[in-house]
Amino acid sequence: MIEFKFVSKQYSPDAIALREVSLTIAKGELVYLAGPSGAGKSTLLKMIAAIERPTSGSILVNGQDICKLKKASVPYLRRKLGLILQQQRLLTDRSVLANVMLPLMVLGDAKGEAERRARAALARVGMEERAFARPMELSGGEQQRVSIARAIVNRPQIILADEPTANLDRAAADKVLDALRAFNAAGVTCMISTHDEYVLDRAARVIHLDHGQVTGGAA
Amino acid sequence: MKSWFRQHHFAVIAALGNVRKAPGSFLFNVFVVAIALTLPFAGLTLLENIRPMSQQLSVDPEISVFVAPGATRAEAQALQPQLQELLKDRKARIAFVPREEALASLNAKGSLSNVIDSLGDNPLPDGYVIKLDSFGTAADAGRVDAVAAQLRALPGVDAVQVDSAWVKRLAALMGVLRTVLLLLAVTLGMVVVAVVFNTIRLQVLTQREEIAVSKLLGATDNFIHRPFYYTGILLGLCAGAVALGAVALAMNPLNTAIGEFARLYASQFQLYPLHPLAMAGLLTISAGLGLVGAMLSVQRHLARLN
Repeated sequence: MIEFKFVSKQYSPDAIALREVSLTIAKGELVYLAGPSGAGKSTLLKMIAAIERPTSGSILVNGQDICKLKKASVPYLRRKLGLILQQQRLLTDRSVLANVMLPLMVLGDAKGEAERRARAALARVGMEERAFARPMELSGGEQQRVSIARAIVNRPQIILADEPTANLDRAAADKVLDALRAFNAAGVTCMISTHDEYVLDRAARVIHLDHGQVTGGAA
Repeated sequence: MKSWFRQHHFAVIAALGNVRKAPGSFLFNVFVVAIALTLPFAGLTLLENIRPMSQQLSVDPEISVFVAPGATRAEAQALQPQLQELLKDRKARIAFVPREEALASLNAKGSLSNVIDSLGDNPLPDGYVIKLDSFGTAADAGRVDAVAAQLRALPGVDAVQVDSAWVKRLAALMGVLRTVLLLLAVTLGMVVVAVVFNTIRLQVLTQREEIAVSKLLGATDNFIHRPFYYTGILLGLCAGAVALGAVALAMNPLNTAIGEFARLYASQFQLYPLHPLAMAGLLTISAGLGLVGAMLSVQRHLARLN
């Protein structure tokens, strides 16, 4: 489903984020990306969403080389993905519900249908009762769960979560991870980057990255 | 198709939402754009009011033919067949004006009656008034001169007076006015585009986080651009309506002043608002200028954000 073939990313001669990374992730798999800060975890996830482009190599998503995607086609790739970022990037001028509805409005869904699906997504992460709260009124863990609801509301094929448990206490981190595992159990491919040993202890497959190179778990 | 409509509906709602977030700023911008639009709209209203009058004048250029003072009535009337022969290729109405009738007409005007009385005898010759109606526009009035030259060459004709000169002057003046108005409209149109450009620039900057998030969620460029386009259209439309309203409001005091002036020339000239279709056209142009400003701004500033 996701295949990296000798992918390198160089921002400048002194800043190499990825070096000849090759790895394969099967459909429905739950994969953790581990490594210290600056290892290239975020860059790797961003490349799958075409937020970053590789300097060399190719990335296949569902058999399609996304490095060759035209700019106009990128939104359609992203609609198949659920992005969860370390900074949740919730829009503070609107309610939690409106934030979760946004991916559906982008698709042109009817407002009523979008609201119904957004409420269902919020219910799956246990945030239905905070639907009309503003993001700033929520704790960090709650905000992260809202961002998960926003990522899964359009039923993505792949969830990319970049440090979803960073800055969360254990209880909040567990809730977030439980939610992600539940989606994976429903058949969604999940890639979760983390440097948290507590998270990795419970992981199935872990791909280790260090200084932009895969040091384990690529196969 | 439903999805397409929904996306446009969403864009309109988002544009109205932008207005609602900063109504003061939006109203101020409407006011600025309206000021820029009022001048060309007022000029166009004036031109549209003058145009029918000038056309009416140019349609019937008038030539007065004065018979030689010593000529008898029979000699004067003998000119009529020659005039008809000369003007047979043109649509013309030829009216013989006996000197008595000309004097009576002059007396009826009142202001010159004392002068005429002091002359004792009727100083006016017999004459003809020829109304030509074969010229469509004021610009064509120049052709009257050729006809006048032919009339002057006829035996028994003392003088020929053509009243097309001032029609030509009016036509030239209208031409100048039209050019000035066009230049003014182009200049002020650019002002409108610049104001909308800046308004949208500020909105793009204010909403850059929303734009970035929407892009991450799979929003196409069209989805992101549309609300700004609708904001530009809305701004242009509102400003156009305000400008038309201002012109309509200014018409009352203007008509009072024009009415007094026109009465001095025995005219009933008054300014009337533009035809509803013309108004709709101006509103469309205003909205179009708003759209152009928004498109330029969005292309430039979103490219920078990307």
